[in-house]
Amino acid sequence: MSDAQHFKVVIIGGGPAGIGAAVGLAKRGVGPVVLIERRAELGGTPMGYRKKPGGVPTFVEWTRGRVVFGEELAGRMAKRLAKTDTAIRLGTQVTKIDPAEKRLTLLGPDGVRELTADAAVLAAGAREQTPAEKGWLAGARTARVGFTRHVTGWLDRHGLLPARKPVVVGSDLIAYSAAAKLRAAGSDEPVMIDRRQSPSAGFFERLFFWRWTRPDWSGGVTAAGMKGDRAATGVQSSDGKEWPGDGVMVCGELVPNSELALLGGLAVELPSRQLQLARGQAMSEPGWFAAGNVLGGFHGAQWCYFNGRRLAKRIATFLE
Amino acid sequence: MVAPGMAQFGTWQPKSRGRLFYNWPPGACEEALRFTSAGQLGGEPYDVVIVGAGVVGCGLAHRLSMYDLRVLLVDRLHDVGEGTSKANSALIHSGYDAKPGTLESELLHEAEADWPGLAARLKIPLDPVGGIMMAVTDEQECQLEAAEKNAHANRVADVRILSADEIREREPNASSSVRGGLLVPGESLADPFMASIAFAEIALANGVDILLGVEIAGVELGQARHHLVTADGHRLPARRIVNAAGLGSRRLADGYGGGAFDINPRRGQFLLFDKSARPLVQHILLPVPTAHTKGVLVSPTIFGNLLAGPTAEDLPLDDPAATHTTVDGIRRVLEGGSRLVDGLARQPVIATYAGARCACSQGSYVIRYNDGAPGVVTLTGVRSTGLTTSISLARHLVDGMQKELGLELSPDSAALDARPESAWPGWWRRPFENGATDARADHGCAVCFCEVISEGEIRDALDSPLRPRTMDALKRRTRALTGRCQGFDCQVSLAEIVSGHTGIGIAQLTKNGPGSELVAPGQAEVPA
Ligand SMILES: Cc1cc2nc3c(=O)[nH]c(=O)nc-3n(C[C@H](O)[C@H](O)[C@H](O)COP(=O)(O)OP(=O)(O)OC[C@H]3O[C@@H](n4cnc5c(N)ncnc54)[C@H](O)[C@@H]3O)c2cc1C
Ligand SMILES: Cc1cc2nc3c(=O)[nH]c(=O)nc-3n(C[C@H](O)[C@H](O)[C@H](O)COP(=O)(O)OP(=O)(O)OC[C@H]3O[C@@H](n4cnc5c(N)ncnc54)[C@H](O)[C@@H]3O)c2cc1C
Repeated sequence: MSDAQHFKVVIIGGGPAGIGAAVGLAKRGVGPVVLIERRAELGGTPMGYRKKPGGVPTFVEWTRGRVVFGEELAGRMAKRLAKTDTAIRLGTQVTKIDPAEKRLTLLGPDGVRELTADAAVLAAGAREQTPAEKGWLAGARTARVGFTRHVTGWLDRHGLLPARKPVVVGSDLIAYSAAAKLRAAGSDEPVMIDRRQSPSAGFFERLFFWRWTRPDWSGGVTAAGMKGDRAATGVQSSDGKEWPGDGVMVCGELVPNSELALLGGLAVELPSRQLQLARGQAMSEPGWFAAGNVLGGFHGAQWCYFNGRRLAKRIATFLE
Repeated sequence: MVAPGMAQFGTWQPKSRGRLFYNWPPGACEEALRFTSAGQLGGEPYDVVIVGAGVVGCGLAHRLSMYDLRVLLVDRLHDVGEGTSKANSALIHSGYDAKPGTLESELLHEAEADWPGLAARLKIPLDPVGGIMMAVTDEQECQLEAAEKNAHANRVADVRILSADEIREREPNASSSVRGGLLVPGESLADPFMASIAFAEIALANGVDILLGVEIAGVELGQARHHLVTADGHRLPARRIVNAAGLGSRRLADGYGGGAFDINPRRGQFLLFDKSARPLVQHILLPVPTAHTKGVLVSPTIFGNLLAGPTAEDLPLDDPAATHTTVDGIRRVLEGGSRLVDGLARQPVIATYAGARCACSQGSYVIRYNDGAPGVVTLTGVRSTGLTTSISLARHLVDGMQKELGLELSPDSAALDARPESAWPGWWRRPFENGATDARADHGCAVCFCEVISEGEIRDALDSPLRPRTMDALKRRTRALTGRCQGFDCQVSLAEIVSGHTGIGIAQLTKNGPGSELVAPGQAEVPA
């Protein structure tokens, strides 16, 4: 296609990191910049955490020293973005990249389009590890085996409790947030199991959630299987221990959304899917940068925003 | 307004002559689709009732729909092809390794010739990539010649022995211990789900009635007609019955006094790798079989992933674990696959699954006519090749029913034997790359981001002839939910689309039928 539109910088992902990068670039007068978001709204992962009376706020806003609901935080970020000249394409997914040519293929309501840029930022965020990726969790494939994303989706969008007797697999901050949300919405106290001997969330993190949840903890589970015929009825370890429930939430242990890089031929470590980065969050092809949770590990939303903003400086230097 | 040429998008919406009903509780599907009484089926006895809508039952229904017959296809699950037929290696076999002279060998031989034409007519994605049986020890290398002879005895003429160098040329990632192999050009990849679906859609269009979510709990034998009794007590009159119930065939046969046979599930576990692994192999890489099992193969999938498996584990009949994966089984699959391909263990896994072969002590393809009572056909032991042979087996069964049961066959001149272009699954023909968004913007709105499946494709699937209403049924038609995130990103939005398009309350949507609600049952939805 020869009608590919050209931009100075293209940002893939409209979560905190992508927004931060766009705001940072605007501050430096770099343009034109286009930000592409596959969902219908900006804000990324935090946007799914609606502000609700009786709900559990889980997003730390360091700059104001408080914990808020994701949509409040993301909403403020989106407002800052709206004051810039960034072109925004919502409901549009980057489906393919050609790193050397800096050419992107997009799918949106008007079909397949291409665009090119002088620099690109991958701010595609992360997702939760699947049971198959864990390797230690096998068994039945039933209904009501879900992720934290589903807990918030069902609860915050539809007022539906995904499970009344939840078994939470995982023990990081996200797992605790899922347990707290379920409990606050009226589930039984969740059972929490993990391969680790002790929870991976730190003491103060657990303390924060103490108000809502004190999960019934079992660590050191090395091999286990989902139980159930049509819907999950719990988890059973290979040595016969059972954790009954009516839904299993597989939580946390984020995996970066690095597939565009992987399938486009940029350097990605396997099987972890971690981007191989040089200094300055640069990917293996000049002009390609990464920001936010796609960097790997867990980073809070505001950290990701500022990470994107700081990256703008590197990009500006690269473009000079 | 629909632009010229747009007819090829959207979905196939034939004027079906057959009736379709599902056993759903009130509110879980549209009222017109709900099965509430046998009276909905007209009361007349069926010429043939097929119990089991796996690929074999669907293939038979498709074949019988070419004749002037009243036929009913029943399954206890809420979609066709949801039993063993949904969890296999998805290969169309050439039959090179069959036991010469057996019915299986004959059926494979016929099917091999049928498949390219069948796939094109019925719009079943098929990719003739070919296979290589790889010897990785000296001992295995010695078996290649025998394997070649065996292939020839099965009338698979185009096999030939390859040297280790010839294999490396074709397969740069083949294990460094490869000694040689047998090239088997006739092995192909297929979309295993679309086979059952396409057969059933055509059967329905041609007048076959389809009843899903209905378990047959017993059979009342009679003189001129029998009755199948459902688990809910409905009685379905039938002149002839075909037991194509796979692993349910033993229990069903007990209901009509069928002769002795013993079956058990032989579990096969699989590992599915992400699309980044697809370029690792060019062919289907097959191990040299042992006395007990064909072994773990490594194969591309038609969907662009890479597959390793299966295991072969005999379990007792009715063991609920027959389709469960195990941590140990998955490890063995990875070890087996790694013997054929270097670097497999580095590849990111996206899913594991297990299927249960119907292993029968009396052999494969056991067919008995007038078994226990006149007009009753038992078919069992369709163990490892039923996807491939579904087409030839159906022909074989219809011939048998004509001879042994006196089934009269007068061709139905109005019968279709093809689906139109619009029936190709969206993931295969990519409507948004071909102008479908000009007419409908929802063909450009991705909902499943991993597989890049649009909202439009979901709605098209919901409107397709079998009116799929479960998440799993949609998944098999569209590929949504099957990617690397396994529904992390799209499960809830997908449910919203289904609910919006069908009017079914979101709290009532299920993964695969009643009892598999996506959220804890008994809740009323609070609008967002
Ligand atoms: C399940 C989960 C729960 C979390 N819970 C908390 C919590 O309770 N508290 C907390 O502080 N932090 C939490 N986090 C972390 C927090 O969400 C992140 O710190 C922050 O959202 C990361 O910002 P980001 O911009 O890097 O990624 P995201 O916010 O995930 O945004 C990435 C965006 O990129 C878009 N995108 C991805 N690929 C493409 C593509 N190919 N084309 C177009 N668009 C694309 C996505 O749709 C998404 O909107 C959670 C994270 C996850 C995954
Ligand atoms: C691990 C594995 C790998 C395989 N690989 C291949 C391959 O690569 N190529 C190939 O060609 N074949 C392969 N096969 C074989 C193939 O999958 C089977 O032969 C085929 O699916 C059998 O189809 P079926 O219709 O006989 O059985 P099923 O699909 O099991 O259908 C039987 C149906 O009967 C229904 N039923 C049972 N009892 C009742 C009842 N009482 N009332 C109502 N309904 C009932 C069930 O719900 C089920 O849907 C493989 C199989 C396995 C397990």
